[in-house]
Amino acid sequence: MKRLPDRLARSMVRVLRERLGLSPAQITWAAFWASAAAAVLIASRWLAAGLVLMALGQILDGLDGAMARQYQLVSDEGHRHDTVLDRASEALIFLAFAIAGLVPLAHALLAIAAVLLLTTVCDRSGFDPGFKRFVLYFGAWLPYPTLFAVIFGVNLAAYVIGLLIIDCQFQVRMDRLGGDLDTVASRAVAEEAGAIRYPVPATRHPRIDDRPTDGIRPPTRESFSARQIADSG
Amino acid sequence: MKIFTHVLATTLGVQALDLHGRDAVLAYGFGVAIDIDHALKAPFYLRAVGLRDERGYYWRSSLQEPVAFLWIAPLSLWLGTAVPLLFFAIHLLMDYSVSFEKMPFYPYSGWVTRGWLVNVPDNVKEAVLFVVLLVANVALWLSRR
Repeated sequence: MKRLPDRLARSMVRVLRERLGLSPAQITWAAFWASAAAAVLIASRWLAAGLVLMALGQILDGLDGAMARQYQLVSDEGHRHDTVLDRASEALIFLAFAIAGLVPLAHALLAIAAVLLLTTVCDRSGFDPGFKRFVLYFGAWLPYPTLFAVIFGVNLAAYVIGLLIIDCQFQVRMDRLGGDLDTVASRAVAEEAGAIRYPVPATRHPRIDDRPTDGIRPPTRESFSARQIADSG
Repeated sequence: MKIFTHVLATTLGVQALDLHGRDAVLAYGFGVAIDIDHALKAPFYLRAVGLRDERGYYWRSSLQEPVAFLWIAPLSLWLGTAVPLLFFAIHLLMDYSVSFEKMPFYPYSGWVTRGWLVNVPDNVKEAVLFVVLLVANVALWLSRR
Protein backbone atom coordinates (compact mmCIF):
# COMPACT_ATOMS: atom_id res chain seq x y z
CA MET A 1 0.00 0.00 0.00
CA LYS A 2 2.86 2.36 0.76
CA ARG A 3 4.55 1.97 -2.64
CA LEU A 4 2.13 4.09 -4.68
CA PRO A 5 2.24 7.12 -2.37
CA ASP A 6 6.02 6.67 -2.23
CA ARG A 7 6.22 6.92 -6.02
CA LEU A 8 3.99 9.99 -6.08
CA ALA A 9 5.99 11.65 -3.32
CA ARG A 10 9.40 10.72 -4.69
CA SER A 11 10.10 14.01 -6.45
CA MET A 12 8.92 16.05 -3.47
CA VAL A 13 11.03 13.94 -1.12
CA ARG A 14 14.06 14.45 -3.36
CA VAL A 15 13.65 18.23 -3.12
CA LEU A 16 13.25 18.11 0.67
CA ARG A 17 16.21 15.81 1.14
CA GLU A 18 18.71 16.87 -1.55
CA ARG A 19 17.92 20.56 -1.99
CA LEU A 20 16.86 21.49 1.55
CA GLY A 21 18.88 18.83 3.38
CA LEU A 22 16.01 17.86 5.69
CA SER A 23 15.90 14.57 7.62
CA PRO A 24 12.80 12.40 8.16
CA ALA A 25 12.76 13.43 11.84
CA GLN A 26 12.67 17.10 10.86
CA ILE A 27 9.76 16.42 8.50
CA THR A 28 7.98 14.58 11.34
CA TRP A 29 8.39 17.62 13.58
CA ALA A 30 7.22 19.94 10.79
CA ALA A 31 4.09 17.77 10.40
CA PHE A 32 3.48 18.00 14.14
CA TRP A 33 3.84 21.79 14.24
CA ALA A 34 1.52 22.15 11.24
CA SER A 35 -1.06 20.02 13.09
CA ALA A 36 -0.56 22.02 16.30
CA ALA A 37 -1.15 25.25 14.35
CA ALA A 38 -4.23 23.64 12.80
CA ALA A 39 -5.49 22.82 16.30
CA VAL A 40 -5.07 26.48 17.36
CA LEU A 41 -7.05 27.66 14.32
CA ILE A 42 -9.81 25.08 14.86
CA ALA A 43 -10.07 25.96 18.57
CA SER A 44 -10.42 29.62 17.47
CA ARG A 45 -13.29 28.47 15.19
CA TRP A 46 -11.34 29.18 11.98
CA LEU A 47 -12.36 25.78 10.80
CA ALA A 48 -11.57 25.95 7.07
CA ALA A 49 -8.08 27.36 7.65
CA GLY A 50 -7.53 24.78 10.38
CA LEU A 51 -8.50 21.93 8.09
CA VAL A 52 -6.16 23.21 5.36
CA LEU A 53 -3.26 23.25 7.84
CA MET A 54 -4.31 19.81 9.10
CA ALA A 55 -4.10 18.55 5.50
CA LEU A 56 -0.62 20.07 5.18
CA GLY A 57 0.37 18.28 8.38
CA GLN A 58 -0.91 14.98 7.01
CA ILE A 59 0.94 15.44 3.70
CA LEU A 60 4.18 16.11 5.59
CA ASP A 61 3.39 13.15 7.80
CA GLY A 62 3.28 10.96 4.70
CA LEU A 63 6.54 12.38 3.38
CA ASP A 64 8.67 11.53 6.42
CA GLY A 65 8.04 7.83 6.01
CA ALA A 66 8.50 8.05 2.24
CA MET A 67 11.85 9.82 2.73
CA ALA A 68 12.98 7.23 5.27
CA ARG A 69 12.15 4.39 2.88
CA GLN A 70 13.62 6.12 -0.19
CA TYR A 71 16.96 6.87 1.49
CA GLN A 72 17.10 3.69 3.60
CA LEU A 73 16.77 5.69 6.82
CA VAL A 74 14.05 3.49 8.31
CA SER A 75 14.61 2.79 12.01
CA ASP A 76 12.56 1.60 14.97
CA GLU A 77 13.30 4.84 16.78
CA GLY A 78 12.10 6.88 13.79
CA HIS A 79 8.90 4.83 13.64
CA ARG A 80 8.28 5.35 17.38
CA HIS A 81 8.99 9.08 17.06
CA ASP A 82 6.57 9.33 14.13
CA THR A 83 3.86 7.40 16.01
CA VAL A 84 4.17 9.50 19.18
CA LEU A 85 3.95 12.79 17.28
CA ASP A 86 1.07 11.49 15.13
CA ARG A 87 -0.95 10.63 18.24
CA ALA A 88 -0.05 13.97 19.85
CA SER A 89 -1.21 15.78 16.67
CA GLU A 90 -4.51 13.91 16.71
CA ALA A 91 -5.02 14.59 20.40
CA LEU A 92 -4.48 18.33 19.88
CA ILE A 93 -6.85 18.44 16.91
CA PHE A 94 -9.57 16.43 18.68
CA LEU A 95 -9.30 18.65 21.76
CA ALA A 96 -9.47 21.71 19.51
CA PHE A 97 -12.85 20.53 18.22
CA ALA A 98 -14.03 20.24 21.84
CA ILE A 99 -12.66 23.68 22.77
CA ALA A 100 -14.44 25.14 19.74
CA GLY A 101 -17.67 23.63 21.08
CA LEU A 102 -18.16 21.42 18.03
CA VAL A 103 -18.21 18.17 20.06
CA PRO A 104 -18.55 17.34 23.77
CA LEU A 105 -15.18 17.16 25.56
CA ALA A 106 -15.98 13.62 26.78
CA HIS A 107 -16.41 12.43 23.18
CA ALA A 108 -13.13 14.01 22.10
CA LEU A 109 -11.32 12.36 25.04
CA LEU A 110 -12.91 8.97 24.33
CA ALA A 111 -11.96 9.24 20.63
CA ILE A 112 -8.36 9.96 21.71
CA ALA A 113 -8.48 6.95 24.07
CA ALA A 114 -9.75 4.67 21.31
CA VAL A 115 -7.01 5.82 18.90
CA LEU A 116 -4.36 5.31 21.60
CA LEU A 117 -5.65 1.83 22.39
CA LEU A 118 -5.47 0.84 18.73
CA THR A 119 -1.93 2.22 18.53
CA THR A 120 -0.80 -0.14 21.30
CA VAL A 121 -1.65 -3.22 19.21
CA CYS A 122 -1.65 -2.21 15.53
CA ASP A 123 2.05 -2.93 14.96
CA ARG A 124 1.65 -6.49 16.24
CA SER A 125 -1.71 -7.15 14.64
CA GLY A 126 -0.96 -5.31 11.40
CA PHE A 127 -4.54 -4.00 11.45
CA ASP A 128 -5.31 -0.28 11.36
CA PRO A 129 -8.27 0.95 9.29
CA GLY A 130 -6.90 4.52 9.38
CA PHE A 131 -10.10 6.17 10.61
CA LYS A 132 -8.50 8.99 12.56
CA ARG A 133 -8.31 12.74 11.82
CA PHE A 134 -8.91 12.00 8.12
CA VAL A 135 -12.59 11.45 8.98
CA LEU A 136 -12.87 15.10 10.08
CA TYR A 137 -12.70 16.30 6.44
CA PHE A 138 -16.24 14.96 6.06
CA GLY A 139 -17.49 17.68 8.41
CA ALA A 140 -18.98 19.53 5.44
CA TRP A 141 -21.53 16.72 5.03
CA LEU A 142 -21.92 15.19 8.48
CA PRO A 143 -22.16 16.74 11.96
CA TYR A 144 -18.93 16.54 13.99
CA PRO A 145 -20.49 14.58 16.88
CA THR A 146 -21.36 11.85 14.35
CA LEU A 147 -17.83 11.90 12.94
CA PHE A 148 -16.36 11.58 16.44
CA ALA A 149 -18.72 8.66 17.09
CA VAL A 150 -17.36 7.04 13.91
CA ILE A 151 -13.74 7.66 14.97
CA PHE A 152 -14.44 6.24 18.43
CA GLY A 153 -16.43 3.24 17.22
CA VAL A 154 -14.13 2.24 14.37
CA ASN A 155 -10.93 2.57 16.41
CA LEU A 156 -12.39 0.71 19.40
CA ALA A 157 -13.66 -2.06 17.13
CA ALA A 158 -10.29 -2.17 15.37
CA TYR A 159 -8.62 -2.47 18.77
CA VAL A 160 -10.78 -5.48 19.65
CA ILE A 161 -10.10 -7.04 16.24
CA GLY A 162 -6.38 -6.34 16.71
CA LEU A 163 -6.43 -8.12 20.07
CA LEU A 164 -8.16 -11.10 18.48
CA ILE A 165 -5.61 -11.21 15.63
CA ILE A 166 -2.79 -11.29 18.20
CA ASP A 167 -4.67 -14.00 20.12
CA CYS A 168 -4.95 -16.08 16.96
CA GLN A 169 -1.21 -15.65 16.33
CA PHE A 170 -0.58 -16.83 19.89
CA GLN A 171 -2.98 -19.75 19.44
CA VAL A 172 -0.98 -20.88 16.39
CA ARG A 173 2.15 -20.81 18.57
CA MET A 174 0.41 -22.85 21.29
CA ASP A 175 -0.91 -25.36 18.75
CA ARG A 176 2.59 -25.84 17.32
CA LEU A 177 3.94 -26.34 20.82
CA GLY A 178 1.53 -29.20 21.47
CA GLY A 179 2.10 -31.37 24.50
CA ASP A 180 0.15 -30.99 27.71
CA LEU A 181 -2.69 -28.60 26.90
CA ASP A 182 -3.19 -27.86 30.59
CA THR A 183 0.12 -25.98 30.65
CA VAL A 184 0.40 -24.90 27.03
CA ALA A 185 -0.30 -21.21 27.71
CA SER A 186 2.47 -20.82 30.28
CA ARG A 187 4.92 -22.77 28.09
CA ALA A 188 4.06 -20.65 25.02
CA VAL A 189 4.47 -17.45 27.02
CA ALA A 190 7.85 -18.65 28.29
CA GLU A 191 8.87 -19.47 24.74
CA GLU A 192 7.65 -16.08 23.50
CA ALA A 193 9.68 -14.34 26.20
CA GLY A 194 12.76 -16.27 25.08
CA ALA A 195 13.05 -18.02 28.43
CA ILE A 196 13.18 -21.41 26.71
CA ARG A 197 15.60 -21.82 23.83
CA TYR A 198 16.04 -24.95 21.78
CA PRO A 199 18.83 -25.75 19.30
CA VAL A 200 16.61 -26.13 16.24
CA PRO A 201 16.69 -24.32 12.87
CA ALA A 202 15.00 -20.93 13.05
CA THR A 203 13.01 -21.64 9.88
CA ARG A 204 11.05 -24.41 11.53
CA HIS A 205 8.99 -23.98 14.66
CA PRO A 206 9.91 -26.76 17.07
CA ARG A 207 7.34 -29.24 18.28
CA ILE A 208 7.71 -30.20 21.89
CA ASP A 209 8.30 -33.84 20.98
CA ASP A 210 11.43 -32.86 18.99
CA ARG A 211 13.22 -31.14 21.80
CA PRO A 212 16.13 -32.31 23.91
CA THR A 213 14.76 -33.60 27.17
CA ASP A 214 17.79 -33.86 29.45
CA GLY A 215 16.44 -37.19 30.61
CA ILE A 216 12.97 -35.81 31.31
CA ARG A 217 10.25 -37.10 29.03
CA PRO A 218 8.20 -34.19 27.70
CA PRO A 219 4.42 -34.37 27.95
CA THR A 220 2.76 -35.85 24.89
CA ARG A 221 -0.71 -35.98 23.40
CA GLU A 222 -1.16 -39.31 25.17
CA SER A 223 -0.25 -37.90 28.56
CA PHE A 224 -2.56 -34.96 27.85
CA SER A 225 -5.42 -37.23 26.90
CA ALA A 226 -5.05 -39.04 30.17
CA ARG A 227 -5.67 -35.83 32.07
CA GLN A 228 -9.32 -35.19 32.42
CA ILE A 229 -9.18 -31.57 33.44
CA ALA A 230 -12.12 -29.25 33.56
CA ASP A 231 -13.72 -28.00 30.43
CA SER A 232 -12.60 -24.49 29.65
CA GLY A 233 -16.15 -23.39 28.73
CA MET B 1 -17.80 -21.87 33.41
CA LYS B 2 -20.45 -23.39 31.21
CA ILE B 3 -22.79 -21.21 29.17
CA PHE B 4 -25.88 -22.22 31.22
CA THR B 5 -24.28 -20.95 34.42
CA HIS B 6 -23.44 -17.64 32.73
CA VAL B 7 -27.04 -17.37 31.48
CA LEU B 8 -28.36 -17.95 35.01
CA ALA B 9 -25.99 -15.38 36.55
CA THR B 10 -26.86 -12.79 33.91
CA THR B 11 -30.59 -13.46 34.22
CA LEU B 12 -30.34 -13.02 37.99
CA GLY B 13 -28.58 -9.68 37.49
CA VAL B 14 -31.12 -8.55 34.88
CA GLN B 15 -34.00 -9.47 37.21
CA ALA B 16 -32.40 -7.93 40.30
CA LEU B 17 -31.58 -4.65 38.57
CA ASP B 18 -34.88 -4.69 36.64
CA LEU B 19 -33.13 -4.10 33.31
CA HIS B 20 -35.09 -3.73 30.10
CA GLY B 21 -34.47 -2.84 26.44
CA ARG B 22 -30.95 -1.76 25.56
CA ASP B 23 -29.59 -2.42 29.05
CA ALA B 24 -30.91 -6.00 29.05
CA VAL B 25 -29.33 -6.58 25.62
CA LEU B 26 -26.02 -5.18 26.90
CA ALA B 27 -26.25 -7.36 30.02
CA TYR B 28 -26.68 -10.57 27.99
CA GLY B 29 -24.08 -9.36 25.47
CA PHE B 30 -21.36 -8.82 28.05
CA GLY B 31 -22.53 -11.51 30.48
CA VAL B 32 -23.05 -14.36 28.02
CA ALA B 33 -22.40 -13.52 24.34
CA ILE B 34 -18.84 -12.45 25.11
CA ASP B 35 -18.17 -16.21 24.95
CA ILE B 36 -18.45 -15.84 21.16
CA ASP B 37 -14.65 -15.91 21.03
CA HIS B 38 -14.81 -19.68 21.58
CA ALA B 39 -16.29 -19.88 18.08
CA LEU B 40 -13.25 -17.98 16.81
CA LYS B 41 -11.00 -20.68 18.27
CA ALA B 42 -13.03 -23.54 16.75
CA PRO B 43 -11.07 -23.63 13.44
CA PHE B 44 -7.82 -23.75 15.43
CA TYR B 45 -9.16 -26.63 17.54
CA LEU B 46 -10.23 -28.54 14.43
CA ARG B 47 -6.83 -28.03 12.83
CA ALA B 48 -4.81 -28.94 15.93
CA VAL B 49 -6.97 -31.63 17.50
CA GLY B 50 -9.58 -32.63 14.91
CA LEU B 51 -13.00 -33.89 15.89
CA ARG B 52 -11.78 -35.67 19.02
CA ASP B 53 -12.95 -34.42 22.41
CA GLU B 54 -9.78 -33.18 24.09
CA ARG B 55 -10.36 -31.25 27.30
CA GLY B 56 -8.16 -28.35 28.32
CA TYR B 57 -7.75 -26.76 24.88
CA TYR B 58 -7.00 -23.03 25.20
CA TRP B 59 -10.40 -21.69 24.13
CA ARG B 60 -10.00 -18.27 25.69
CA SER B 61 -9.09 -14.98 24.04
CA SER B 62 -8.54 -11.45 25.31
CA LEU B 63 -12.22 -10.79 24.56
CA GLN B 64 -13.01 -12.33 27.97
CA GLU B 65 -9.94 -11.47 29.98
CA PRO B 66 -9.47 -8.47 32.31
CA VAL B 67 -7.56 -6.73 29.51
CA ALA B 68 -10.95 -6.26 27.83
CA PHE B 69 -11.81 -3.66 30.48
CA LEU B 70 -9.54 -1.38 28.44
CA TRP B 71 -12.17 -1.22 25.70
CA ILE B 72 -15.31 -2.01 27.71
CA ALA B 73 -14.71 0.95 30.08
CA PRO B 74 -14.57 3.56 27.26
CA LEU B 75 -17.56 1.89 25.61
CA SER B 76 -19.54 2.08 28.86
CA LEU B 77 -18.62 5.76 29.24
CA TRP B 78 -19.69 6.46 25.66
CA LEU B 79 -23.00 4.65 26.16
CA GLY B 80 -23.50 6.25 29.57
CA THR B 81 -24.21 2.98 31.39
CA ALA B 82 -22.24 0.72 33.72
CA VAL B 83 -24.12 -2.40 32.59
CA PRO B 84 -21.35 -3.72 30.24
CA LEU B 85 -18.72 -3.26 32.98
CA LEU B 86 -20.85 -4.92 35.65
CA PHE B 87 -21.92 -7.97 33.66
CA PHE B 88 -18.49 -8.48 32.14
CA ALA B 89 -17.01 -8.39 35.66
CA ILE B 90 -19.51 -11.06 36.76
CA HIS B 91 -18.55 -13.21 33.74
CA LEU B 92 -14.87 -12.83 34.62
CA LEU B 93 -15.37 -13.65 38.31
CA MET B 94 -17.10 -16.88 37.32
CA ASP B 95 -14.49 -17.88 34.74
CA TYR B 96 -11.61 -17.17 37.10
CA SER B 97 -13.01 -19.66 39.61
CA VAL B 98 -12.35 -22.47 37.11
CA SER B 99 -8.76 -23.65 37.29
CA PHE B 100 -7.56 -23.70 33.67
CA GLU B 101 -4.73 -21.41 32.60
CA LYS B 102 -5.59 -17.81 31.80
CA MET B 103 -3.61 -14.83 30.57
CA PRO B 104 -5.36 -11.82 32.14
CA PHE B 105 -3.37 -9.06 30.45
CA TYR B 106 -2.16 -10.63 27.21
CA PRO B 107 -0.77 -9.18 24.89
CA TYR B 108 0.54 -6.54 27.34
CA SER B 109 1.79 -9.10 29.84
CA GLY B 110 2.59 -12.79 29.63
CA TRP B 111 1.46 -13.45 33.19
CA VAL B 112 -0.41 -16.76 33.44
CA THR B 113 -2.72 -17.58 36.35
CA ARG B 114 -5.26 -20.24 37.22
CA GLY B 115 -7.53 -17.84 39.10
CA TRP B 116 -8.85 -18.49 42.59
CA LEU B 117 -10.35 -21.41 44.54
CA VAL B 118 -7.94 -23.68 42.66
CA ASN B 119 -8.05 -26.32 45.41
CA VAL B 120 -11.79 -26.90 45.01
CA PRO B 121 -12.67 -29.26 42.12
CA ASP B 122 -14.12 -27.36 39.16
CA ASN B 123 -17.15 -29.65 38.88
CA VAL B 124 -18.05 -28.94 42.51
CA LYS B 125 -17.73 -25.17 42.06
CA GLU B 126 -19.81 -25.26 38.89
CA ALA B 127 -22.53 -27.45 40.40
CA VAL B 128 -22.83 -25.39 43.60
CA LEU B 129 -22.96 -22.11 41.70
CA PHE B 130 -25.49 -23.50 39.22
CA VAL B 131 -27.86 -24.61 41.99
CA VAL B 132 -27.47 -21.35 43.95
CA LEU B 133 -28.15 -19.24 40.85
CA LEU B 134 -31.11 -21.37 39.80
CA VAL B 135 -32.72 -21.14 43.25
CA ALA B 136 -32.04 -17.38 43.43
CA ASN B 137 -33.55 -16.83 39.97
CA VAL B 138 -36.69 -18.78 40.79
CA ALA B 139 -37.03 -17.11 44.20
CA LEU B 140 -36.65 -13.64 42.72
CA TRP B 141 -39.09 -14.41 39.91
CA LEU B 142 -41.69 -15.75 42.34
CA SER B 143 -41.26 -12.78 44.68
CA ARG B 144 -41.94 -10.37 41.80
CA ARG B 145 -45.10 -12.12 40.56
